[in-house]
Amino acid sequence: MLCEQPSEVTMIPRERCAYSAIVDRPPLELPDRNRLVVWTIVNLEFWDISRPMARQVLPAPTGQVLLPDLPNWAWHEYGMRVGVWRFFELFAGLAIRPTLSINARVCEEYDRVARAARDAGWEFMGHAWEQMPIHKVEDQAEMIAKSLDVLERFAGTRPVGWLGPGLTETEETPDLLAAAGVKYIGDWVYDDEPTEIRTAHGPLVTLPYTVELNDIPMMLVQHHESAYFTQRCIDSFERLYREGGERAKIMAIAIHPYISGQPHRIKYLEAVYDHINRYAGVLHWNGVEILDWYLSAKATS
Amino acid sequence: MAERVMLPTERLEFSAIAHRPKLELPDGARLVVWVIVNVEEWDPTQAMPRTVLTPPAGGAPMSDIPNWAWHEYGNRVGFWRMLEVLDQHQIRAVLAVNGSAIEHYEPIARAALDHGWEFIGHGFTQKSMQKVADERADIRKTAAVIRGFTGEKPRGWLGPGLTETWETPDLLVEEGFKYVCDWVLDDEPVLLRTRTTPIVNIPYTQECNDVAMMLIQHHKAGEYYDRAIDQFEQLYDDAARSARVMALVVHPYIMGAPHRLKYFRNALTRIRDHRNVLFWTGGEILDWYLAQRSAC
Repeated sequence: MLCEQPSEVTMIPRERCAYSAIVDRPPLELPDRNRLVVWTIVNLEFWDISRPMARQVLPAPTGQVLLPDLPNWAWHEYGMRVGVWRFFELFAGLAIRPTLSINARVCEEYDRVARAARDAGWEFMGHAWEQMPIHKVEDQAEMIAKSLDVLERFAGTRPVGWLGPGLTETEETPDLLAAAGVKYIGDWVYDDEPTEIRTAHGPLVTLPYTVELNDIPMMLVQHHESAYFTQRCIDSFERLYREGGERAKIMAIAIHPYISGQPHRIKYLEAVYDHINRYAGVLHWNGVEILDWYLSAKATS
Repeated sequence: MAERVMLPTERLEFSAIAHRPKLELPDGARLVVWVIVNVEEWDPTQAMPRTVLTPPAGGAPMSDIPNWAWHEYGNRVGFWRMLEVLDQHQIRAVLAVNGSAIEHYEPIARAALDHGWEFIGHGFTQKSMQKVADERADIRKTAAVIRGFTGEKPRGWLGPGLTETWETPDLLVEEGFKYVCDWVLDDEPVLLRTRTTPIVNIPYTQECNDVAMMLIQHHKAGEYYDRAIDQFEQLYDDAARSARVMALVVHPYIMGAPHRLKYFRNALTRIRDHRNVLFWTGGEILDWYLAQRSAC
């Protein structure tokens, strides 16, 4: 390591990227007059049974935090045992290769699931070592390096992208990620287009991930009915598709096997793709493909 | 504070809407609708005023990039959708704006000014007025920034999150404000006593307000349309005997999301179909109300 203490000056968001109104930017264009890119992200996590669970479907009686929290651990585990196989079937049928946002520890603990994603040609995106806020990681640089190393060994290529667990970042995370060779992140859900932010180690691209078309805020925080997932995705799609006639748009869909992979929810996810696939001019790209397009579109503009 | 505070019941008496003199709008109009667009700046070094996503296993770690970014989306992208919708309906909205946002989001302030919107003070930052170190200085600084940008002193004020201290109406009058929106207690404007001259309260809303509906009550986006129309139809009926004011409140980071915008647009389209409905700014409502009062 170069330094023991955080000698770098940390930057607040405004120092990383100035405010910019989308209407003041030259439009980005997709190849072949396409209007919209759909970016599907499947999140695979490792929940450590010795700690409080990342999310809860069922709080304990009287609301106390219990350890171990077996029912909520098991609820998440269902996604790995059962739910994720519904995803594999859906995306194989659609010939879509999503981005896999994966806690690196999943490669060790759920080797069977990670192999299926690798063999299906999904993009592996770094998503920390295990599911906990990055603020609680003692040595972030070490955790980032270990995660990327494990994913590289497993998938054969080093991940290009990164998403914080729960999108969390400390003020220095973008600097550490850029130093580790990461090229894009998904934590900055502040635009419809990719952007570049400043780091101590050169620019880092943000891709428009989503907290809107995302089953955690929708189902676990806002408690919407399952069917509303379809409605919200279609409403977004139709608006962005229209806007895509003027400037390229990206629409992310973020899903988790323990939520959208439930028997009562999977059909509402399927219905989203049924709807989208009736339209011409829509590309299904992963994060690396969006990054490469953005960098070349920027270079030529 | 040297002086004794005034309780709300000392600022105005209880009054039943059914027992007041009739208010009349010009040209036989029944109802005024005013649209308030709230533009805020969220300080990334503080806890976020609202969140869409909690961190894994809870807590509130700082910095909070995802929720900061989610709000920032409204100013980078969402606002511009709203501007287009308001233009299409030829509505001049009211920009309730944090003083600090005028500098940091200058293109938004510029667009609002160019489109003839009214600017009202909304705190210097998005922070409860009860947590502001010097309330008078905060109000004064906000008014000065708005005046510096628009060339006119703001007449209206909305507390961040509608928050007030016991003293807020007094300070607002002393700093030159003519109306406030925090008192959501009526369908007509009312006068509030202060330690100097009274201030008008114009009906704002926590009901047809996307923060309350989408972030607290977690309704589907379509409920914004349904509730706005239900609210409108009832007030339109009520207005047969005396004029009514209806507020519609939006935030770019909420109703400006691609999946929500159409419900805001469709509500405006439906209301616009009524010929005897006026779309006014807060300042226009204020002038009309004061003229009505002096006439009776």
